[in-house]
Amino acid sequence: MRTDPNAHTLLELAAATLRRDVLPHLPPEGRYAALMVSNALAMAERELRGLDDSGRAMLLALVPLCGADADPSLTGEELATRVDALQHRLCIEIATGAFDGDGQDLLMDALEAIVRARLSIANPRAVPAS
Amino acid sequence: MPDANPSVPPTRALLTDENRCRLEGWLAEQAGASRATVTDDGWLGSGGFRPNLGVTLTLADGPMAGRHACVLRAETADRISASIGKRREFAALRAAHGAGVLVPEPLFLCDDPAILGPDFFLMRRIAGVGAGFAVVKGDAPMPDLARELGRQLGRLHRITAANPDLEVLAPPPDCPAQEVIRQCRDWIGDAAQRDPVLVWGLRWLHVHAPLPGAVVLCHRDFRTGNYLVQDGVLTAILDWECAGFSDPMEDVAWFCARSWRFRRSHREAGGIADRADFYAGYEETSGRRVDPQRVAYWETAAYVRWAAMAIQHGRLHSAGGEPSLELALTGRMLPDIEMDLLRHLRSAAARAVAPAERIG
Repeated sequence: MRTDPNAHTLLELAAATLRRDVLPHLPPEGRYAALMVSNALAMAERELRGLDDSGRAMLLALVPLCGADADPSLTGEELATRVDALQHRLCIEIATGAFDGDGQDLLMDALEAIVRARLSIANPRAVPAS
Repeated sequence: MPDANPSVPPTRALLTDENRCRLEGWLAEQAGASRATVTDDGWLGSGGFRPNLGVTLTLADGPMAGRHACVLRAETADRISASIGKRREFAALRAAHGAGVLVPEPLFLCDDPAILGPDFFLMRRIAGVGAGFAVVKGDAPMPDLARELGRQLGRLHRITAANPDLEVLAPPPDCPAQEVIRQCRDWIGDAAQRDPVLVWGLRWLHVHAPLPGAVVLCHRDFRTGNYLVQDGVLTAILDWECAGFSDPMEDVAWFCARSWRFRRSHREAGGIADRADFYAGYEETSGRRVDPQRVAYWETAAYVRWAAMAIQHGRLHSAGGEPSLELALTGRMLPDIEMDLLRHLRSAAARAVAPAERIG
């Protein structure tokens, strides 16, 4: 089923209206809550639009460490399940000391790529320059 | 005796006509006055968390006769595991005040659920700006403020478990590093099954844990945002709800962590000045040198602990308590904290400082 405007357009419009038409007229004690609402709307919109891209970036980061194939066709719930499974496997390896000696550079690169992918939704401004 | 009396939801009015009468009667008795009146001056601070209610206490007679601007701090339902409860917080505040640390004077503690319900205490209200972004706003660094904060922290760190007022706190841990790792694992819970960044942070802490050294009373949330400044001068150190015994370098590192620089990343001491300013003040009063290697260890611990606290905030929101957008958004700060953790670990690796003594 197709709806127009779709959910992420509605969220974008809601956030823009809040910033443009509501925030400037609020008393100081209401600004903090309004900024939080604006932040939450923007984050929800990014998640709707970019969750699969973020998931695929995490998958690509995990593949060199976990020896698995990155299937670019995965989307939605299947993609999320695959990423969770690989992250779980990596957690076990880290916790049992697999990276106490060698491989820390590779691990750090992968972890940074994972966090970059998550930051692209949670707070894109905090993604460090490459 | 239970650990704490029932808490109040953070958005509900704390004072009602009914409980105000009980509060006034109780305060009159505590202050040795024939009559006490309390006026509600509203919630303090701009945040969504509401632990601080401004009140004016007027005592008709007795040794404290007169009007007193106060803060009433009551236990709230959004308490996370790092929070020690109002009775212990009051004890830590009193010990700090007794040691000459610049804190609001603690006045009265109540753990009788018949008065307001939750545990609460009153302390004096101090003027000043507290919000982190407002404190670091100026373009000029504030080395004098950083030095003074260092001095205050040094004074606090002269307090040990020998202080009898602190018997209510958890006993000092044999190994503060292992204790923090245990706490963080506990708070992170199931998330450690699927978050390799946090698991790496915990593993790093385990492998690099330093041998125990001095264990002192620590604030454990000593940072920009938790002190008040007026005209560039420190007026009070606030928010003692995480206080406990630990390695003194934990507080030094927490203050300098990127999380509390409020986008003034280049000013490594709390977004206000250089580390050297803060360290110099600390060494003036603490009786010990700042150990940069230990500080680097505890800065890793700071990111992992802050991440664990953010997870708890997010969990409080999803656990079906009071709906709170602020708690929900704090839970979504995890990637920001983890990026700071990775950045710090990379710089620690680049310095390639091999610890002289380690456990684990």
